[in-house]
Amino acid sequence: MYDEFLEGMAEILEIDTLNEESKFDELDVVWDSLAIVSTIALLDQCFDAMIPGSQLAEVSSVNEILSLVESQN
Amino acid sequence: MSVLSIPSKVSNVKLAGIAAAVPKNIVSNDYFEAFFESTDIESVSKMSGVKTRRWVDENTTTGDLCYQSALKLLSELGWEPSTIDGLIFISQTPDFLLPPTAMRLHKKLEMKTASIAFDVNLGCSGYPYGLWLASLMLQSDDVNRVLVLAGDTISKVVDPHDRATAMLFGDAGSATALEYSDKQVSWSFVMGTDGNGVDNLVIPDSGFIKNFMARDKRLNDKKSDRLFMDGTEIFNFTLKTVPPLVSHLVNEYGIDVGRFYFHQANLFMINHLRKKMKVPESAVPTNIDLFGNTSVASIPLLFATDNLCKDEVDHIAMAGFGVGYSWSALAMPVDNDTKRIFLEV
Repeated sequence: MYDEFLEGMAEILEIDTLNEESKFDELDVVWDSLAIVSTIALLDQCFDAMIPGSQLAEVSSVNEILSLVESQN
Repeated sequence: MSVLSIPSKVSNVKLAGIAAAVPKNIVSNDYFEAFFESTDIESVSKMSGVKTRRWVDENTTTGDLCYQSALKLLSELGWEPSTIDGLIFISQTPDFLLPPTAMRLHKKLEMKTASIAFDVNLGCSGYPYGLWLASLMLQSDDVNRVLVLAGDTISKVVDPHDRATAMLFGDAGSATALEYSDKQVSWSFVMGTDGNGVDNLVIPDSGFIKNFMARDKRLNDKKSDRLFMDGTEIFNFTLKTVPPLVSHLVNEYGIDVGRFYFHQANLFMINHLRKKMKVPESAVPTNIDLFGNTSVASIPLLFATDNLCKDEVDHIAMAGFGVGYSWSALAMPVDNDTKRIFLEV
């Protein structure tokens, strides 16, 4: 699931690869409402997790997204 | 599911016909190059699925689109206006704040005075709600025919500079004719409401309330008299609500649904819901690419334009969800006699 999630995040952010430590500002990616909606769907698909868009809007790294998922479990 | 929604079954109702009308004016994505970067247009179109939409001119109203639909439908059915006992107009972009637009339509259609006519202010969920209300009206002894007129002209309330809404919506109107039937055929409804969504899809300055959401940072660069949509919150709501809504129809009511007419909210959303609910792609028609999100008209517009193979499908389902939050769904048997009409006006 983590691999699928990381692949999906790379696709959403339109980059080749990323890992759990990746930070958005270092990757120079756009973290906008379209990316957030896609991420909500990806998290639902990979982890059966429903993370509010308002919380995702505040994150700045892949690790922070995963922390939100873990906090829901 | 019973915690989330109210189930309701109604019998003795026949769906005589549906007509849906769209404006002739086709607005392609190129139009928006005056407002957005082409990469933005591509990204939004890729997610929403909208390639073209139909917009009315400034002199055409939602009532006009519904009137044209009703006129054509009544003509095709051979129904005289004097035989109609009820008219429900459902819209969030009515012709007036007051009187109800249903009054204007009642007059234009030359309906009799011994009839019931009123407006319902609902959006994306409004169509199944309208059919539910009409079905209940038909349980009265003196009500035998009801028209449900559902439409919206959201193009009149979007800010062309707001990427979240400008390219998503189209205009459409519809008319649906229901009549009492002696056949004990059941229509199964499920409906629910969550007022916590009131500020996630809203025109803050559209009525008499003052300073609604005045301190909401999400509106910092928005116009308060234009449609505001928090797409991420709407998406969360949809994921949480729609699968159990459909599950209720299929599992708790035990209905073998062969065709699902979902509100055409956004193609990405519809596809994700479809996969999540493990419904085959062939059972979920879409037309958002051609018409955009037409709010309350999207389900009747989809039904009117779908190539439904009547021999292969016993039951169809409709599901509307969105502004409010509000949601509703309906499962009904396919009736081979139902007229389906699409018109451009």
